[in-house]
Amino acid sequence: MKLKIEAIVTLTPGIRKFTLAPVDGAPLPRAGAGSHLVLEIPGSGRVWKNAYSITSATEAAVYEIIVRRVEKSRGGSAWLHDHAKVGDVLEVQPPQNLFAPQRLAKRHLLLSAGIGITPFLSYLKLPCLAYELHHCCKPEDEAAFRALFPSGPQVTLHTSRNTLNLEMLLKRQKLDTHLSICGPESFMDVVLATAAHCGWPSTKMHKESFGGATGGESFVVHLHRSGVMVNVGREESLLDAMEAAGLTPSSLCRGGACGECKLPVLDGVPAHHDHYLSEAERAANNAIMICVSRAKTPELVLDF
Amino acid sequence: MSKSRPVYTPFGLDPAGRAHLVVTSLDAPPEGIEDSLANIEVWTVKHNGPGVPAPIVAGLRPFRSTTELLVQLSHRLTRETAGLRLYAVGPEAFIWDAYNAAIAAGLHPSEISLHRAGPFVRRVYCSHCRTIIEGVPVNIVACPSCEAALFVRDHFSRRLAAFMGVKVDAEVPGEIPEAEVFTS
Repeated sequence: MKLKIEAIVTLTPGIRKFTLAPVDGAPLPRAGAGSHLVLEIPGSGRVWKNAYSITSATEAAVYEIIVRRVEKSRGGSAWLHDHAKVGDVLEVQPPQNLFAPQRLAKRHLLLSAGIGITPFLSYLKLPCLAYELHHCCKPEDEAAFRALFPSGPQVTLHTSRNTLNLEMLLKRQKLDTHLSICGPESFMDVVLATAAHCGWPSTKMHKESFGGATGGESFVVHLHRSGVMVNVGREESLLDAMEAAGLTPSSLCRGGACGECKLPVLDGVPAHHDHYLSEAERAANNAIMICVSRAKTPELVLDF
Repeated sequence: MSKSRPVYTPFGLDPAGRAHLVVTSLDAPPEGIEDSLANIEVWTVKHNGPGVPAPIVAGLRPFRSTTELLVQLSHRLTRETAGLRLYAVGPEAFIWDAYNAAIAAGLHPSEISLHRAGPFVRRVYCSHCRTIIEGVPVNIVACPSCEAALFVRDHFSRRLAAFMGVKVDAEVPGEIPEAEVFTS
């Protein structure tokens, strides 16, 4: 669907909020808390498809997203920061939700770091969600983030590692609490490890994983059924490279979380960077999530 | 065996837990409680035992009845914090009552383990008048409320923690199978 940039607000030099409205005034599909949009962003010679959490409420008439300018930007966030202007029309894939709040939980412990706050902003707009939010950010971003939160004792900002005692926080939670995490991979790893150490079962935690597509060595992919050979460059994902070659593999989250883009591996060894395949599936060496994973061997043969 | 019956594993503590609460409707803790794991509390039932609430001695707390134990369990779980593992040991009616109390308190099934032990008696639900009959050792039992002779099917309801009892000759009037004592 086509959405128009209706407003741009600069929250910090590196973080901007975009309001996206329908071009034709038709009502937007509802986006439940935790949903994201995939924006098709023009780039030099190609289109970037980036996923951004929707921060506006479910019933809002427009979508809001908050975008941090990634330092080594793949192209998407740099364009949104440097070139996007009010009135621009973007092709946007309808909202998908891979990070809905755990509805059975009576309480929610939300832990985020940096731009990882975005999916929780829609959580906070739910009526009657019992939550406790701890957000970690750089001191210079504190004021901008604080303005995004409702005031109250349920939100705590941490601008230094010393103020958040994860172990104490996790140990004092009631049994009916569910833990949700979003932030850089290293942050989420620390939280998950601490929670496991405190006895939390994996069934009571979930994390949001975006931006897993990091570059790496280039490699060549033979697409067996299509009879096409695709070269995957250092700064692009396998999915991007296939799309650039005119192929249309199915995909959804573009962050290694949803499982939609799984393809059978016929030859070669994938370097898995996703959060979808189990250890056993990885060991079997017969599937790859093409949105984030790459190759350990110079060539891969995929059944596509 | 009917697939509607849950399958249980032998008793064992989950080393991923930070604290362990073992509840049993029997009068002794289950065999196999390792001494190596700290932070274990065991609740047992000693009928006609000490009054309420009995003190904890060496991690062991006896209750006068399963009813008292289950009421205290619900209270206890509302005060507990993440990291607890609950183990219920006993006949099916008791362990599923404990399971349902734990789910209501917010535990996830992965934090609860159930182990069948003790006498092979069943709680039976009369499907004609909804009466619950406790401690039934044989597969034919008279409903004390509607007086129907019930055949106890191998059909277990986790919600009621009971087996289904249906009029014994419901399929073919007059045809009454031989009564059998439960061996599972």
